[in-house]
Amino acid sequence: MSEFKTVGKSEIRVDVRGKVTGRTDYAADLKMKGMLHAYLVRCFDYAHANIIRLDMSEAAKEPGVVKVVGPEDVTSNIFNQSVIDIMVPPTLTGPFGDIDDQKIFADGRVKHYGEAICAIIATTEAAAEHAAKKVIVEYEPLPVYLNAEASKQADAIQFDERKPGNLAFQLPEAMFENNIMGHGDVATGFAEADFIIEDTLYTSKQKQCQMEPNSYIALYDDSEKLTCWSSTQMPKCVQSKLATIFEIPVARMKLIQTTVGGGFGARLGMVLEPHACALAMAMPGYPIKIQSPREEDWLTSPSRHPGDWKVKLGFKKDGTPVAAEANFASYKGAYYLDGSGVAATTGGWLQAVYKWENLAYQGQTYFTNQPVCGAFRGYGNPQQTFVMESMIDRALAQLNIDPVEWRTKWHKQVGDGSWFPDVPYSSVAIDPCLEQGAEAIGWKEKRARYKNQTGTIRRGVGVGMTTHTSGAFPMLLEHTVCSIKLNEDASANLTFACSDLGQGSHTALRQIAAEALDFPVSDITLNTQDGDITGFDIGAHASRTLYVGGGAVIEAVNDAKRQIFERVAKLLEANPDDLELKDKQVFVKGSPSRSVSLKELLHGSVFNFDVDLATGPSFKEGQIEGYASYNPPHCSPPWAATFIEVEVDMETGECELLEMVNTHDIGRAINPAIVEGQMEGGAQQGLGMALTEELYFSEDGKVLNNGFTDYKMLGPSDMPKMTNIIIEEPDPFGPFGAKSVGETGLCTPLGAVANAIYNATGVSVTDLPITPEKILKAIKAQEAA
Amino acid sequence: MSHHTINLNVNGMPQTVTVEGNQTLLEVLRETIDQTDVKYGCGTGECGACTVLVEDNKPINACMTLAATMDGRSITTVAGLAKGNELHPVQQAFVDDFAIQCGYCTPGMVMKSVALLSENPNPSEDEIRHYLEGNICRCTGYAKIVTAVQSASENMVQYAGGDAA
Amino acid sequence: MSTRVLTKFDLQIPQDIPEALAILDEYQEKITPVAGGSDMLIAWKHGVESGNAMSVTALPGLDYLTYDENEGLRIGALATIDQLLRSDIVREKYPALWESAEIFATHQIKNTATLVGNCLRASPAGDGSAAAYALGATLTFVSKDGGERKEHIDDLFTGYAQTSRKPNELATEISIPAPKVGSRSAFIRVTRVNEDLAKLNVAAYLKMDGDTCSEARLVMGCVGPTLLRLPKCEALLKGSKVDDATLDAVANTVNDEISPIDDQRSTAEYRRSVAPVFLKRTILKALS
Repeated sequence: MSEFKTVGKSEIRVDVRGKVTGRTDYAADLKMKGMLHAYLVRCFDYAHANIIRLDMSEAAKEPGVVKVVGPEDVTSNIFNQSVIDIMVPPTLTGPFGDIDDQKIFADGRVKHYGEAICAIIATTEAAAEHAAKKVIVEYEPLPVYLNAEASKQADAIQFDERKPGNLAFQLPEAMFENNIMGHGDVATGFAEADFIIEDTLYTSKQKQCQMEPNSYIALYDDSEKLTCWSSTQMPKCVQSKLATIFEIPVARMKLIQTTVGGGFGARLGMVLEPHACALAMAMPGYPIKIQSPREEDWLTSPSRHPGDWKVKLGFKKDGTPVAAEANFASYKGAYYLDGSGVAATTGGWLQAVYKWENLAYQGQTYFTNQPVCGAFRGYGNPQQTFVMESMIDRALAQLNIDPVEWRTKWHKQVGDGSWFPDVPYSSVAIDPCLEQGAEAIGWKEKRARYKNQTGTIRRGVGVGMTTHTSGAFPMLLEHTVCSIKLNEDASANLTFACSDLGQGSHTALRQIAAEALDFPVSDITLNTQDGDITGFDIGAHASRTLYVGGGAVIEAVNDAKRQIFERVAKLLEANPDDLELKDKQVFVKGSPSRSVSLKELLHGSVFNFDVDLATGPSFKEGQIEGYASYNPPHCSPPWAATFIEVEVDMETGECELLEMVNTHDIGRAINPAIVEGQMEGGAQQGLGMALTEELYFSEDGKVLNNGFTDYKMLGPSDMPKMTNIIIEEPDPFGPFGAKSVGETGLCTPLGAVANAIYNATGVSVTDLPITPEKILKAIKAQEAA
Repeated sequence: MSHHTINLNVNGMPQTVTVEGNQTLLEVLRETIDQTDVKYGCGTGECGACTVLVEDNKPINACMTLAATMDGRSITTVAGLAKGNELHPVQQAFVDDFAIQCGYCTPGMVMKSVALLSENPNPSEDEIRHYLEGNICRCTGYAKIVTAVQSASENMVQYAGGDAA
Repeated sequence: MSTRVLTKFDLQIPQDIPEALAILDEYQEKITPVAGGSDMLIAWKHGVESGNAMSVTALPGLDYLTYDENEGLRIGALATIDQLLRSDIVREKYPALWESAEIFATHQIKNTATLVGNCLRASPAGDGSAAAYALGATLTFVSKDGGERKEHIDDLFTGYAQTSRKPNELATEISIPAPKVGSRSAFIRVTRVNEDLAKLNVAAYLKMDGDTCSEARLVMGCVGPTLLRLPKCEALLKGSKVDDATLDAVANTVNDEISPIDDQRSTAEYRRSVAPVFLKRTILKALS
């Protein structure tokens, strides 16, 4: 019998009936009176060029065109489409050197394929698109830099004068001596090592590919209020940024959050909100709608940072991990965005997992003529998981040590430093993950069986593991405001700006509120969308919504309960601390007969006119609203491990995924089915990054596969059979003991599948994605050697 | 531009609309008839978010169909599935089995599943997975969608009326 | 440039064949005929200008699929891939065609795409067209003044995305001879993920007299500007026992007959590496 009523139950999600009937509106589905359509004209001729001439006059004459809007017609304020910079505490802003470097339209120079040049506003979308063909742009082509090596050359054209050498960011000397993150002395460590493995690797440019393309509406109305309808993950940060860009008070900058058709980091900040708002400002009184073609999502919203890795690991004969050295030189794309974030955080993940005696990580990011990079589920962790987990297994094969045993022995423990070394682990339950996962996949038996295979078809099993975070405390601001209003019939409205990207957080947060109030879930609603009403919240990033949001909800409920208990204490002549709320009755602990009906109390708090003609009108105390302005005390890192079995065709390099076991140290599963959904969905993205997904370019910087025809993700028949193992050992800080689950599920498959292929074939592919082409080439090279 | 006046039956409602030769069925459903439950996901027939059923429960991509060529056809979209407040068994299974996360692929995914079960009432897991190719979901890893189609297959037997869509 | 709106064109929807032929005769190369239209819609979406298009979807009586021992399999120009897939005749007598239909695009596309359209698209990566090529299909064209013209598929593909169809001709049918005694066929496609365009495909048709191969038609896709017949490999099979030695000889020869390139889906190097493997496997699949 569970100690909880709703926590731990797979309650049906609150949002799905509207989604399954098609009645839920996404931004693209909204229509408004007087609405006009905008099309952004982009540069598809060059990835790097000066704009010599822009002539919109012919386009302006096209039928249906209402206005053509060029760089001169919109604000010239510069901004950063990401929001990470406003989340960084002031102590870090200086050393990190985050910059604003974007404008609504290209500032005289196109720096990546698909950059926006100007816009057409017309009565219909078709009219706007057809008129766009009449825009004349003349360019002066410039050399194109598509990787860190090319961009850092001394004679390369500079992207930003504030960032010499096109080095957008490296770990700052002011915080990291010699620009190195880590501990100990790796030189000494390698000197002590019995075995050293060293290699260069590449991790690819993966795209979130959320199913909802980018659509926005903006309106600058007669009250000089700017309203933007957006499916951003970060409504309050975006509201704040838009207010700054357009120089209007936050109170007149309204952001209405529309249903989010997936995000995964692509909407961690702004995509085309600045453009929609700029066009609305240029055309006051008319709602302006932008519906961006699917192909443009690859060009406008941030992708994962690709880049080059150098890794060196040292071990003692018994497997003792004595030294790890890693350098990640990532390709930033054309603008800064999360320049500091991924380069720095990747080192955090890298040092978080195992007890390396000495560790040195360096991270840089260089501007390139590519569409921008920013946040993507995992935020550097998938890259490091692939690199480190595959390098470790190659070493363990040489040392003849079992990968599961090694991981069990050398992972960090409670009290050890986490990804943020000053914050020690509050709970670690990776051992049962490894043990039960190994059991479920048949680890020992299969590892033994798959030794010394010789045929064309060979099998292998592999494991990959990592840890992550629950919110970005203490590196970033984690502030969340939540309120809960108790109604006259003892129902409650939560108000909270958190976005549900589809993961189910709105459902789980209602469960947390219901559990804390001991209300049925159906008596609680959650209002998130109206930016005029909701208080501040950082947004949905860093696997924080359930963990931090849940903490905020509990604190708001506790504030409401405190008010209830104070009032009831007077009525019952009891101490508020002795009161308890259960089934909508407030009573003295231990004597349930001394009780007050919550419904009567709350009814009286709303209808509170207390007529007494002798003394004149008076009022009872008013409506109760609980409030929390919450910051979490910790980041309770979750752990996860994935086991995969593959079959590889040695003649063709083709790899089939046979079986997958995902395990997760969750602390507590508030809604187990939702937790599984995160693990399974993460697996599809992690396997895709490992095996098929990559954005690639022609030599002159044109994106060659910005469409589902050639950007290939695993489909339903490609996905292996999946088993989920959820380990619940409550964390001391999380709401009801819960930790996060949003991002780890993407990371661990990368290590597991790479290691399973290695186990099957004896070859290791060091650049992602691991395609049959690369596997076969490696097999042939091995045969030749 | 050529104009074509066509008759459609959308979810049981007769519609007479005038379309241009280059308009897709998706555009006409969403913009002209306000059937915004049919989603634009890619416009190239890859993602399946715009899947609708024509006549004998045949799934097609509305984005890959010229509207003018659909004169006289009956079209069912996800909004036409439920009987009043009672969800179609496939819809109910998607709700009950957590097959929906962000929901953007859901209208197309549900229609594709209805089409599958109307021609193959008891599909194997493998048949479900292969049939659902052409409908992309980026949230669920497909696991719970496959489960939902399996549950729906069991529940369809008891579904009043017996007709699939 | 990518858009959500198709480029402007006038669409004609003839209601019978004479009307269609009159339109083709009038517009000649200035009109694009489409059946299922999936490839053309993508082209229009990416800014290809057509000016005029003619949908043949309303033409009556072209959605047939018939079979008899004399005429073989006759597939009307509007018979969909889905119809092929549902046909027991296709499944039993033309395995390569059925297998190509099974993996052909998605079920949505199967419901609108046609084998005739797939052949006339003349993609070097065509699946249905590769099978039809190996099976020795014949297309029927009609024109306003020229009457009916038969074109063997060996003469159809003239270059990348180009065919011998004359601008005033309407393709009405593709037919495949009834399978000869001892004949067999198979199709294999290699992709990045299951739902994908081919990075390599192979269709094989063999006629066996006991252990000896008396006739062979081998087709490989994605290794040249058009689908390619492999005449040298076919010659090695013809008159030979299909044993390991023959298969090895075939495998060792295929790279002389193909000219793959690097593209979005694979590399020339990989295609050269696996062409022998998949050719061999397709032949063995046909024989099994």
